[in-house]
Amino acid sequence: MLKNVIQWSTARLLLNGATRSEVRRCLCASLTIKAKENAALGESELEPANRRYGNPFAQTTPTTLTDNTTTESEEQRDKRLKVLQLEADIAHQEGRRVPALEFFKDHHWAHVLSLPTKSARIKYYGFLWQIEMKKESEKRKKEQRAEDTERRLADLRKEREENTHIIYGLGHTSMFLRIYDTTINHWQNNRLTRAMQFAPKMVFDCSYDTYMNNRESSNAAKQLMLSFAENRANDEPFDLHYCNANLAGRCMQGLQRFIPTMHNPEFPMNVHTQCFTELFPKSQLVYLTPHCREDLVTYNPDDVYIIGAMVDTVNNEPLSLAKAKRLGLRMARLPLDRYLQWGSGSGKSLTLNQMINIMLDIKKTGDWDTALRHVPRRKVVDLGTEQYERRQAFNRRANQLNVRIDHLIKLGNDQNESTAIERPRKVRQHKEGLEFDLQSWATGKRKTTKRNKFDDGA
Amino acid sequence: MYKFRFLRQLRYSLVPQNSRTALAHSPPCRLLSSHHKRRPQLGPIPSDQLDRLKSEYFERRCELSNEDWQHVRHTLTDSFRHINGTNVDAIILGLCSKAEQLPVAKSYLKHLQAQGLKPNAATMGRLLRVYNAAYHTRELSDEEQSEIMQICDSLQNAHAILDASSCENLIHGLVATTQYWQRALPLLDMMNLTTTPSVSAYTALAVKAFSSDQPELGWRLLEEMLQARKLPKCEIFLALLAHYARDVQTLGAQLERLFSFLELYDIVISDLVAQQLLALAQRLPQQLQVTATGLERFGKCCACQQNLQHVAISDAQFVELRESFLQKVLIRNDVFQKTTPQELQRFKQYVEKTAPYDCVIDGLNVAYSTGNKKPPEQLAKLLATVVRYFKERQKRVLVLGRQHMRNWSKPIMKYIQSNASVFLTNNLTHDDPFLLYATLRSGQDTDFFSRDLMRSHAHLLGTELKSTFRRWQQEHQYSLVTRTETGQIIVKEPIRYRLSAHKVGNVWHVPYCEAYSPNPPERFEVPEKWLCITIAQ
Repeated sequence: MLKNVIQWSTARLLLNGATRSEVRRCLCASLTIKAKENAALGESELEPANRRYGNPFAQTTPTTLTDNTTTESEEQRDKRLKVLQLEADIAHQEGRRVPALEFFKDHHWAHVLSLPTKSARIKYYGFLWQIEMKKESEKRKKEQRAEDTERRLADLRKEREENTHIIYGLGHTSMFLRIYDTTINHWQNNRLTRAMQFAPKMVFDCSYDTYMNNRESSNAAKQLMLSFAENRANDEPFDLHYCNANLAGRCMQGLQRFIPTMHNPEFPMNVHTQCFTELFPKSQLVYLTPHCREDLVTYNPDDVYIIGAMVDTVNNEPLSLAKAKRLGLRMARLPLDRYLQWGSGSGKSLTLNQMINIMLDIKKTGDWDTALRHVPRRKVVDLGTEQYERRQAFNRRANQLNVRIDHLIKLGNDQNESTAIERPRKVRQHKEGLEFDLQSWATGKRKTTKRNKFDDGA
Repeated sequence: MYKFRFLRQLRYSLVPQNSRTALAHSPPCRLLSSHHKRRPQLGPIPSDQLDRLKSEYFERRCELSNEDWQHVRHTLTDSFRHINGTNVDAIILGLCSKAEQLPVAKSYLKHLQAQGLKPNAATMGRLLRVYNAAYHTRELSDEEQSEIMQICDSLQNAHAILDASSCENLIHGLVATTQYWQRALPLLDMMNLTTTPSVSAYTALAVKAFSSDQPELGWRLLEEMLQARKLPKCEIFLALLAHYARDVQTLGAQLERLFSFLELYDIVISDLVAQQLLALAQRLPQQLQVTATGLERFGKCCACQQNLQHVAISDAQFVELRESFLQKVLIRNDVFQKTTPQELQRFKQYVEKTAPYDCVIDGLNVAYSTGNKKPPEQLAKLLATVVRYFKERQKRVLVLGRQHMRNWSKPIMKYIQSNASVFLTNNLTHDDPFLLYATLRSGQDTDFFSRDLMRSHAHLLGTELKSTFRRWQQEHQYSLVTRTETGQIIVKEPIRYRLSAHKVGNVWHVPYCEAYSPNPPERFEVPEKWLCITIAQ
């Protein structure tokens, strides 16, 4: 085991001088990691995998993260908790964006204690305040609706009593069979098990727990759940593997809250603690990372594509690039620049479920325009839609003045319109033939049924 | 401070009940590009109603009757969703926080007493703020001071450790008294438990310290502020000058101390402080001569015609910068993020072989100076022009670039290869740290050529090395301004004189700016306004 770690660290040993201490440190760290892993999971599972290579990205549970440098004693923690509760109370009394003290639960306080600065706490309180306000507004609306529902139900009951005929409808007598959710689930799971045998593979690299904070880990867990769901619902799903999963880490714990049956043997989800280099040969692997230069031109079903399961709002280091370089894997990025005009909105990051949808579409059609439909429209500035919207506003005004004048305006270059964007259909088809023709206007010849008056004041 | 939230709300007038849809129907206005990131407002704000409330009740300097206060309370709780029984008191006190509105605030508290409602901690804290505002305009009477003390005692007895905002309110309240302000010092330490104390807390205490004949405490607070990286406000310096102006004998030494402090922490004082210094010099012409001046070319002071000090860093600092540079900036936690170990090794060997240089050029930065989408031939030409610039001055040059530069025009690349050392990194590598490493490795005399401000690298070095790095960068960075049509290039040479407060011979030169800002951006330009100060010994 030590031999593997030393082999992996030879790259670092090339650097002399200042980095020797680092080598020593990383050796000690990996030894402790291996010891912990062995103790936690038992020898038998680990041995066959570790015989050839160790998992370079094995992680410990991030308890070390919250402790940081100083370990707090119980009473220090309690004292700190009391002060923070007072802080929240006073801020609430001042009318700031902090919920009332009764709203806070234990896990809220646990999160508050882990936040490093006052500004982080203020933002978290603001988030909780929004939840509280939404809950209150929901309660108010529910009370308003309760009355109407009561009345409606009373009417319905009266009607049913008076009615002596058979009631037709869903839930009563009907020719439709009810299809339950579980039936669909079983059918989709069956499709997934077939995919596990025959379909191309896709890997999620879940080793980025230590680089994400709490919120990002929960977001990543939700995106992993959504990508699993979208994959399962597709006609031709991938064989999805979640590698480097640290089962006690925040991301995987969050995923388990979303999918409690995740670890059941009959559930068609592949979760591995090992690295993808141990599961698939390196020549087949392609790491999809936005930090590299080569675009993915054609999808190759024999390759195993790796997506890093990381939400990188806070951290913008090229971590996936570094991993791929270290392991010597091929790298690629999606050809976003070539097919889309990126807007100035929220950067070029895509969520994991969007990525899975894109990969599913590219596998099915091989066409990037249809695949990149899944990039949210707000991120893309499409010159076509801007012009279109401008024209729409113009036409709206012209309709108010009862005049169609768009054929007088030079239409912009329609060639640049991207086919990837779905066109909204025309709403005013009935006004199709009523264009304003200057030549025949006020000539006395009635060409149309309606006389279009040209308002000079426009 | 608290009013700002409402002032901000007043800018967007939304209909009370439809807070969600109102934004969509707002009149088309120029939105910032980050508008979608702006937090939604604190609730439906009928701004005209708030305006009416304020003009009707709060602008009056006198007291309001019980019915008036009840009306105000009910209006606020009814029209704003986020205002309820708990926070309406503090909000009302926040609305009358100006110095002349102290009687209004007191009348509200009397009203609460009459109703039998006990004001909560936040309300009392805001009352202390109003007292503080009043203290800055006039002397507080004895009853007012005793009332302040009562409030402070009750708040401190309620909880063992207070939170940061209560501590700040208490500090402001105590500072308004004449005898009891010393009790505010342990409160500052209490603030430290939860967060860094704010600038206003430090300012209040420091100003009080200087005006109450405890200058050492004031200096200690100033040092603490700078350690916490908070820039001192003008009031502290004004109070400091006012204190030392009383004693003419020690004035000289204390001013020296002040200017050394400005030099050490690279602080730029504001116009107000500069005016105060000028006024001081006018009052005591034998002790102090101060002139407001500017700089001529090459760092020559217009007033005393002396050249400013050279910006060079000491040898020890340079060695420290050089040793820790690679580890802190390039390797960091994972060398693969910016480069690979093999490439780094190759580069180190290359630099050992071909060092020392006179200038290291960032090839891609120079090539893209005039525009991003130029054809490769123009890019290569620009780089060749810069190489020629140095060749004409008989300087040895290293050019750093990336592998794709091999595909640029062959004759131009040949010219560059023959007149300079060239090192090309992989296309995925960050080449800026390589540039800086090569320059540092060559010695104190080597310059580098790039338009990049190197902000990320300065930040990665950490706070102590950052200032050293900035001074070194200022001394050694050439940058390309532009290229004329005739093919000549205009090069901006580095500014080799110091841009912070320092002494030249016996004369202090202190830069100053327009107004105080809590987070001033980093300065890369020469300050325009300077003070030339001679202190009589």
